[in-house]
Amino acid sequence: MSGGSARSLGKGEACSPRSAVTLRRVSGPGPGGRAAPERSHAGGSAPPGQVPEGLIRVYSMRFCPFAKRTLLVLKAKGIGHEVININLKNKPEWFFKKNPFGLVPVLENSQGQVIYESAITCEYLDEAYPGKKLLPDDPYEKACQKMVFELFSKVPSLLLSFLRRQNKEDCSGLKEDLHKEFSKLEEVLTNKKTTFFGGSSLSMIDYLIWPWFEWLVALELNEYVDHTPNLKLWMAAMMKDPAVSSLFIDPKAFRGFLDLYLQNNIEACDYGL
Amino acid sequence: MRFCPHAHRARLVLRAKGIRHEVININLRNKPEWFFTKHPFGQIPVLENSKCQLIYDSAIACEYLDDAYPGRKLYPCDPYERARQKMLLELFYKILGYQNTIFFGGDCISMIDYLFWPWFERLDVYGVADCVNHTPALQLWIAAMKQDPTVRALLIDKNIFLGFLDLYFQDNPDAFDYGLSC
Repeated sequence: MSGGSARSLGKGEACSPRSAVTLRRVSGPGPGGRAAPERSHAGGSAPPGQVPEGLIRVYSMRFCPFAKRTLLVLKAKGIGHEVININLKNKPEWFFKKNPFGLVPVLENSQGQVIYESAITCEYLDEAYPGKKLLPDDPYEKACQKMVFELFSKVPSLLLSFLRRQNKEDCSGLKEDLHKEFSKLEEVLTNKKTTFFGGSSLSMIDYLIWPWFEWLVALELNEYVDHTPNLKLWMAAMMKDPAVSSLFIDPKAFRGFLDLYLQNNIEACDYGL
Repeated sequence: MRFCPHAHRARLVLRAKGIRHEVININLRNKPEWFFTKHPFGQIPVLENSKCQLIYDSAIACEYLDDAYPGRKLYPCDPYERARQKMLLELFYKILGYQNTIFFGGDCISMIDYLFWPWFERLDVYGVADCVNHTPALQLWIAAMKQDPTVRALLIDKNIFLGFLDLYFQDNPDAFDYGLSC
């Protein structure tokens, strides 16, 4: 539908060419033509087409730690994929048809099958695609990875609360809580006597918990693992992993994003583009 | 513990797969000290095998049993179908987690509570009793619902309901009138 024509409107036709053009500008190509492929899709944007054969699509957001899990697994397993970023502060309506909860990450394949919940997407990719298995075959070892995952479960919300309150209120209680959670993870590494949470090589559980520790590195908060030496060593080992290093978050962009995100600014998700 | 729905999950899977097992029940209000060496917070269910390997949290234990033991697989083989089942489970937890007030809609009973109730009333007939440590909010909700005058007025009599079910599963057309005296 082209905007701005002089054609007269007939009976029953609404007058809205101007609004259609406006909508396109908010979420479509910027000046000069093609949009940065990473630019997020926002309210009013057109739904994307079918996923091309041979690729899997991930709906993501450049700074989302949950979506980072999925991106890490895609990278680690060398799975061909395309990324569509979603503006989480101004979500397109069509996105709720992909995931009724409106959250990223979401996987969509060329058969139109949709998978959401980050840990479920990661397990799906490991099962559906060939190559190196990230989850162990042994049922007990696999269960152990899931038990460690449960152990980690309080960290995401704690870290986010901590970042929200930093510089504002006293967050010593939160610091203590974080220390407690990190100590639980430290205990796992101490008991296992291995570098990684699944053994001597990197596996699924390491990728699942990494994105939050990446935040610590990006925000220069490494002191939080001073009391947990094995965890500190684990972080150093993770930084050497090819998937981790190639997807490492840009510290400046992350800080810029975080500032805007905590203020509920709809520009946050595209910071730095 | 015999009435805990989380432990019930594990017992269902053990039975469905025909896995030989022994049960040790724990008194959840007066836990033996040794049980904390099996689970850091003394929760059930916990699986322990002859290699002294411990597996806990009900969904993890159930998946372990499906993976470790032969016979009928309970999770589907197809990765997408497996993912679908796990997404449904997350949905279930979200429903339980949506509750931060006594009733699902707030401090007073409202539409959503009535919309959920019929399924829970039927489960209650089978005796989903107290498992205070795990889903106290849901137990409180069931108790609060049973105090609502509307719910009470329409509460199905357990014996009549069981009689109905009996006939219903035999495809007996008289099932629907069970309990009525003409």
